[in-house]
Amino acid sequence: MGFKNLISSKKILSLLAVFMLLGTSMLFAQGTESAGATASPAADAVKDNGLATAGYYILLFLIVCFVIGIVGKILRVFDLTQQIQGKEPINWNNVMGICCLIFLIAGGYAAYWEFKVHGAMILPDAASEHGVKIDEMFWTTTVLTMIVFVITQILLFTFLFRYRYNAKRRGHFLPHNNTIEKVWTIAPAIVLTILVIFGFFTWQKITDNVDAKGEPASINIDITGHQFAWELRYPGKDARLGATNYKLVTGINKLGINFKDKYSYDDLQADTMVIPVRKSIRLNIHAQDVIHSVYMPHFRVQLNAVPGLPTFFKFKPTITTAEMRIKLNKPNFEYEILCNKICGGQHYNMKKIVRVVTEAEYQGWIAQQKPYLTDKVKKSLNFAAEKKEVQPNRLALNN
Amino acid sequence: MSTLSVQDHGVVHHEDDHGQHHHKATFLNTYVFSQDHKMIAKQFLITGITMAFIAMILSVLFRIQLAYPEKSFPLMETLLGRFAPGGRLDSNFYLALVTIHGTIMVFFVLTAGLSGTFANLLIPLQLGVRDMASPFMNMLSYWFFFLASVIMLSSFLVQKGPASGGWTIYPPLSALPKAMPGSGMGMTLWLISMVLFIASQLMAGINYVSTILNMRTKGMDLWKMPLSVWALFLTAILGVLSFPVLVAGVVLLIFDRSFGTSFYLSDIVLNGTQVQPYEGGSPILFQHLFWFLGHPEVYIVIMPAMGISSEVMSVNSRKPIFGYHAMVYSLIGITVLSFIVWGHHMFVTGMNPFLGGVFMITTLIIAVPSAVKTFNWLATLWRGNIRFTSAMLFAIGMVSFFISGGLTGIFLGNAALDINLHDTYFVVAHFHLVMGSAAIFGMLAGVYHWFPKMFGRMMDERLGYLHFWLTFIGAYLVFFPMHFMGLDGVPRRYYAFTEFESMKQWLSVNTFITWAAIMSAVAQVAFLFNFIHSIFWGKKAPQNPWHSNTLEWTTPVEHLHGNWPGEIPTVYRWPYDYSKPGAEEDFIPQTVPLSQTMSSNLPHDFEDNPTGLEEHTKWANTQKSNEEVK
Amino acid sequence: MMSQLQQEDRLNLAPKKFNMWIFIFTSFMFFAALTSGFIVYIGGTKAHTMGMKLPDIFLYSTAVMVLSSVTLFMASRAAKALQYGRQRLYLLLTILLGVAFFAIQVYAWLILLPGMGVYFSNPNATQSFVYVFIWMHLLHILAGLLLLGNTLWRCYRSIEQVRNLYSMQMSSIFWHFVDIIWIYLYVFLLLNQQ
Repeated sequence: MGFKNLISSKKILSLLAVFMLLGTSMLFAQGTESAGATASPAADAVKDNGLATAGYYILLFLIVCFVIGIVGKILRVFDLTQQIQGKEPINWNNVMGICCLIFLIAGGYAAYWEFKVHGAMILPDAASEHGVKIDEMFWTTTVLTMIVFVITQILLFTFLFRYRYNAKRRGHFLPHNNTIEKVWTIAPAIVLTILVIFGFFTWQKITDNVDAKGEPASINIDITGHQFAWELRYPGKDARLGATNYKLVTGINKLGINFKDKYSYDDLQADTMVIPVRKSIRLNIHAQDVIHSVYMPHFRVQLNAVPGLPTFFKFKPTITTAEMRIKLNKPNFEYEILCNKICGGQHYNMKKIVRVVTEAEYQGWIAQQKPYLTDKVKKSLNFAAEKKEVQPNRLALNN
Repeated sequence: MSTLSVQDHGVVHHEDDHGQHHHKATFLNTYVFSQDHKMIAKQFLITGITMAFIAMILSVLFRIQLAYPEKSFPLMETLLGRFAPGGRLDSNFYLALVTIHGTIMVFFVLTAGLSGTFANLLIPLQLGVRDMASPFMNMLSYWFFFLASVIMLSSFLVQKGPASGGWTIYPPLSALPKAMPGSGMGMTLWLISMVLFIASQLMAGINYVSTILNMRTKGMDLWKMPLSVWALFLTAILGVLSFPVLVAGVVLLIFDRSFGTSFYLSDIVLNGTQVQPYEGGSPILFQHLFWFLGHPEVYIVIMPAMGISSEVMSVNSRKPIFGYHAMVYSLIGITVLSFIVWGHHMFVTGMNPFLGGVFMITTLIIAVPSAVKTFNWLATLWRGNIRFTSAMLFAIGMVSFFISGGLTGIFLGNAALDINLHDTYFVVAHFHLVMGSAAIFGMLAGVYHWFPKMFGRMMDERLGYLHFWLTFIGAYLVFFPMHFMGLDGVPRRYYAFTEFESMKQWLSVNTFITWAAIMSAVAQVAFLFNFIHSIFWGKKAPQNPWHSNTLEWTTPVEHLHGNWPGEIPTVYRWPYDYSKPGAEEDFIPQTVPLSQTMSSNLPHDFEDNPTGLEEHTKWANTQKSNEEVK
Repeated sequence: MMSQLQQEDRLNLAPKKFNMWIFIFTSFMFFAALTSGFIVYIGGTKAHTMGMKLPDIFLYSTAVMVLSSVTLFMASRAAKALQYGRQRLYLLLTILLGVAFFAIQVYAWLILLPGMGVYFSNPNATQSFVYVFIWMHLLHILAGLLLLGNTLWRCYRSIEQVRNLYSMQMSSIFWHFVDIIWIYLYVFLLLNQQ
């Protein structure tokens, strides 16, 4: 009976193969047709095309299912005939044990390949002072965890192969062994303690917000996230940023700068974040609407921008953009700021270029930047000053 | 009193059921509003699988977008309409897909589908109980879950689409309907669904804990419970203690959304000019409340999988689980520690750095019990006699994923490293391996292993093998390369990687990942076919198909209300007496008294039983002297 | 005693009572989360203070609540002593006191607090928290009243003693818990006022 099934399914298989060939050729024909008719984007033709492709894949899928069904049938028939002839049926335990071994070898090679190929595509060395420490920490952790990864996976899959089922054998009754259990509780505990201590001090140093003695004060830069862009604000000659208040935000005064604060008079706007190399930078991070996250992967900098809760991150860039371009052999390389906290539909497109330059270049650049206090703003301010009391009311009504 | 209640109530209760108020078995109360724990388990399982398939299809949709960001698929427009104008996914809808995929997988599949199925099935059956403490609450729990699922899915029918602020729904994004389309009606539905879901989980969890603590059969003390029940027990405790905190967070969010309060909102200007009235709120407060649940939640997801895998691996290695006590203590350790590590999700929120340091220490400590579990599993396999059933393969897959994903947790738990890895694809890879794939594999191991118990028929093993290898390899192909994307600083939840020059090198990898994902998704058809086919036409199952020791295999294959036809069997030994030297067969069920297996008893069996030990030594001595006489 | 225990077992009552205890843990976690939310909120900046004194009315409502617990305890005692008449009386009293508490709280929320200029929608979320505490607690009171009503109704239907006691215990556990939660919330607010 099994054989009958097999034969009939073979027939059906060949029928299906013919069907598939026809389908493919028809599909190709259609593909060329629509390629020829790209000039006139007829919606129906496009729709047909999509359906046909889907249909093709569904057909392919059905055929795969069918083949699997047939293979299953063949296996069953084989098993049955073996049994009838008094021979051993397929020993699936052996098959699976060998599969595990193959997986171990193939998977091991694949993992190695990944490390070699994709591992070469990861971020270059940190371009900031604290980033170097993070990288050290990272590589230590990587080495430790990879040792564990390799050993445990090898053990897992070789055990599976080595101890696959054998009717003549019994498992080794071993309910527990306190010594070895203690060893493998304490060993990871020690390794983790080392990592914790190492990490804790690195973390403390990175988040330390006090300017070191004897060093010049950090350059304060305000970065404000909103849907879907970053705004920058540099302090002017006074090296101090003026106060802001979100209630003062208008179409002209995007950041809500309080221009009654004299420090705000010379605050500068900028399109690109240009920062001098080897100078401590203090990024003051704000958000206007939802949570964003300032992420500068090359500098190992990330901190959320939370509305109502200003945060800051201090770092010191060490490699200029020009140096990095040479180092990576990418003439178009730019440092970037990304948004790394889901913030809405255009979340994927909140980009700001960062350019690390020499001190001299920086001074030249900053001299060219325009202040936030433009003539337009001045005009509107004078206007607002007359109706000083009206403004809060208007806001209340807006609510 | 509870010890007393353990003794006789089963029998009496059973008579009570069949003697006094005879329920008429109608279709409605047998299959729909059933109060029988086995039927509820099946309901949870089937709903869970359905939700898993839906969430999987969502993931394939957004994977296609990531693989072909610039290409248009007219079919997509036909299927999704306004969500895919011109055959390309809308960027807001992309986020909705990501959000709903995460929500469904974490809550509806891996919490309700996993715990709901196996706690309902195994707690009464493995502990020798007729039914749950409150069967009515149990039924209610399922129907709340069902309602929650329906509401969650119905949000796809809303004009502006479902919630799309990520499954963590951080305000202000989720609190301001103007901030994104999904934060309107879709978010409201999400919140309603979640409240119902939590109610369901609380009712279920309360029942599980109470049943385990009060209703075990005679002789079943806590240290004789199978690890699966231990895991489900601790999971239920976690759920009962952490879900209410999420309710508190959600209630405050609802007030912020609809009643104009400012718990989470402050200093907000929308669209550049619209100053919002909120003042003084703290978005971080929500994150604290959310992650106080959210972190235990990931253990709610993984612990049942651990328990199931331990059980399955022991049965199929024909070997006791290595270090049973250590396994239980590590589960307890994970349970306790999981409440004090939530801050590691918030290292880069601008939280007090010292607090960050503390959370880092607690987080890395939790790696120790996890390591112990892993080593114990390996030791269980060592010198076993490993039978490769489909369930066994999935349990092994679970261990492999748990190792691979768990190790990257050591990076992410380190606050200093997290600065650069937070919210990148490294995180995506980490949690999809350690809690996504591992937990799903644990669940599938459970399905394959206890299918005969649930449906009285066997699943096809060879299809199971196919399913396993395709899924196992597929999952590694999908998630392994993601680590490197994360190390390159590629952020998660990005609609397309075309806007940044630096990310373009990953486009080909994305295409590869998508095809791997499609392959694994298609492989699930093998499971679905096997599952449905076997329910109706599978081979009839024998009473104890896996030669397992636990109590559930002493019940008849045909289900009956009350589980055991006669008296509930008494338990005499721990559940892992496999391949005991001196025993006739390579397994001794829990119901066999030690007095019947004198030849195989070990001093180890009498650890807290001095009289038993005395008997045993006496017996051993007589044996010895007999031999000498001979 | 023995037979009573067995009867309890037959009805599976012990685990059900246990369910109630676990529910109380759950509920406690809920309020703990709300109050820790409050603490995190005021800990955020120094500007976050409650900025109000709690009105005295809460002192009265607390007194009513405590009194209701006392009467419920009396009802329990009467039930154990098989004095059903007194049990009913005390139960009724408890329910009345519960309703009175409810009314006082609603009065405080609807009239008194807004009268003091303390609104729910408010830039100062500490004041919104007061409302949330009251509401969430009132929800529990509502559930407690339903439970008590159910017990009273059962008591009038004169069911078996074992069921009567069970029902009595269930509502007692819950009601005393609700009482304690209110005292906790009240003391918590007292400590954090201004």
